[in-house]
Amino acid sequence: MKLTPWKTFAAGALLILLANVVALIGVYLNRSGEPDSRLTLSQRELTLPWGWGRAKENSGMALRLNWRVIDAGAGEYFGGYDVSGGTPEWLDEARMAALGFDTAAPAEGTAGRRRFERALPREIVLVLELAGPAWQQALERAQQNAARHEAARLANADSKEFAAKAKRAQELLKLEETQNSRLFAIDAGLDRAALRAKYPDRSRFLILKATLRPRLTMHDKKTRVTGHVSALAVTQINVPHALRPLLEPALATRRRTAGDAGPHFEATLAVGQRLEPWLESVLATR
Amino acid sequence: MDSPNTPLRSEAQRRADEIGIFNTELARLEAEGVLRLDAAQQQAVREHHAALLAGFAGRFDIDRDLQAKQLSLGMRVASFLGALALAASVFFLFYQFWGHFDETAQVAILLGAALGSMGLTVWIQTRDASGYFTKLAALVAFACFVLNLSMLGQIFNITPTDRALIPWAALAFLLAYACDLRLLLAAGICCVIAFVSARVGSWSGIYWLHAGERPENFFPVAALLFAFPSLVAHRHLTGFASIYRVFGLLCLLVPMLVLGHWGYGSYLADYEGFTTRTIEGGYEVAGFVASALAIWLGARRQWPDTVNTGITFFVIFLYTKFFDWWWELMPKYLFFLVLGLAAILILLVLKRLRRVGQAAGEGAP
Repeated sequence: MKLTPWKTFAAGALLILLANVVALIGVYLNRSGEPDSRLTLSQRELTLPWGWGRAKENSGMALRLNWRVIDAGAGEYFGGYDVSGGTPEWLDEARMAALGFDTAAPAEGTAGRRRFERALPREIVLVLELAGPAWQQALERAQQNAARHEAARLANADSKEFAAKAKRAQELLKLEETQNSRLFAIDAGLDRAALRAKYPDRSRFLILKATLRPRLTMHDKKTRVTGHVSALAVTQINVPHALRPLLEPALATRRRTAGDAGPHFEATLAVGQRLEPWLESVLATR
Repeated sequence: MDSPNTPLRSEAQRRADEIGIFNTELARLEAEGVLRLDAAQQQAVREHHAALLAGFAGRFDIDRDLQAKQLSLGMRVASFLGALALAASVFFLFYQFWGHFDETAQVAILLGAALGSMGLTVWIQTRDASGYFTKLAALVAFACFVLNLSMLGQIFNITPTDRALIPWAALAFLLAYACDLRLLLAAGICCVIAFVSARVGSWSGIYWLHAGERPENFFPVAALLFAFPSLVAHRHLTGFASIYRVFGLLCLLVPMLVLGHWGYGSYLADYEGFTTRTIEGGYEVAGFVASALAIWLGARRQWPDTVNTGITFFVIFLYTKFFDWWWELMPKYLFFLVLGLAAILILLVLKRLRRVGQAAGEGAP
């Protein structure tokens, strides 16, 4: 059977309209009612994606959500830089099992270990906390780290190496105090309602979809079953047209030095019923 | 406007080609004294063919001789490249300016572009007898729709989903079947491949974007695509059945080729007793068997597309194996000599296969 041009157009137009309606109903459902969470973030947590300044042929603007994990294996860079993703300390065997991974496999020997590590990423629900105990922990570790290196510098007054390490530790502390993201991944699960019940403060705890890849790490010659939180489902947040005039001047100002915190702004990020985020408002603070 | 019984362009072109072949052979038979039509019969055949060709030429701008056919090939290439370039241009045009509009205008522009390009395609189809401009417009319409849904996702921060592949595939198939466009059929098939493999992967809990990391996820869609033209007849759509079969074979043989060198990526690597080397060896053998079966089946069913794809992959499997075995061990002149001899051997086998096929064809009632 050959479709007539009119029938072809009608079928195509119907398909296009239907797909758009379904997508927009999803947006409406996400944004209807009270948001699942609403947080006030700053330039520490929201930054332009890499290479945005060079993308001259893209007139749109989107922000990257910077979040971190407390990672025991990261040494002095315990809280990571502003890199999204990592292997959190709290992600233990029991949690990995609850997230659907076969945590009994590594105990079965080489084949089991291989089976566990080869497992591909699964979708999970991630809880992110703003300026909570995890951030305090990162701050305290930075302070302790700086104090330890300073003591070593004083004890070895002639050593350039100790002086350089102390200077670097001070820089890390300054970054932790003024620039690094205060948003930390603190828990994960599959049941969003249970997580919200556990973390009811909607202005402090952000719940988003993410992907998790299983991982085995070595600690004190013991194999530890854990996972790498690799990415959020929505990696970039579009800046609505109405908010761009407020944000563009702030983002256009370049940092002059590494110690310069750059322009300051506050933005309200809402997350809706389908765990999809959007920017509600922006306020330039300097 | 065409009636539903009007032949498609590809069908008309095939008939015109067959008329040309018939006339050449008839002239040869007459010259050799084997057959001679009387004047009335010759006149009737000539008039019938002339009327048919005039009708086809009026409606479809078909190639009536060899020179026109050669030019058509160039036009097809130009039309394909132009279609790709225009589709890319649509993407970059929107990216260049979308930030200057508010969200309502962005959605309206995206929707308008998708609907407008769809309408333009249908309008051009009614006026373009050659089909080349329809192909250009159809690919732009498809690109506009892909842009439409992907940009909605970007504007409203929608979680990426494999379900978007369903409407994209549906529009590509609609344009392919309505306008007789193989390029759009290939685009639709690619969407189906991505969707089915993502779904197969997600059955075992994998996040859909990672389904490609287990090449076996493509096997079910390979079977589906290969069997589809046998289940649904495509007699009036020249080349459609071939495209399904070729994509089906690609979804089978490319993963086999990958797994033949990367056994760690297989589902089988999860099980005790399947070492990476065993899996790779198994898939190498499976690749040889599958491509040989494709050659056999293609020769038996007279599917040249299947035969050619089977031969291509058989040679690739063979040459990669030769490379693994002998590249380091042999002097280069000897290595390439072996490759050449292997090619001659394949030619002899295929020649024999063709002879057997011809003998079977002649023996058939």
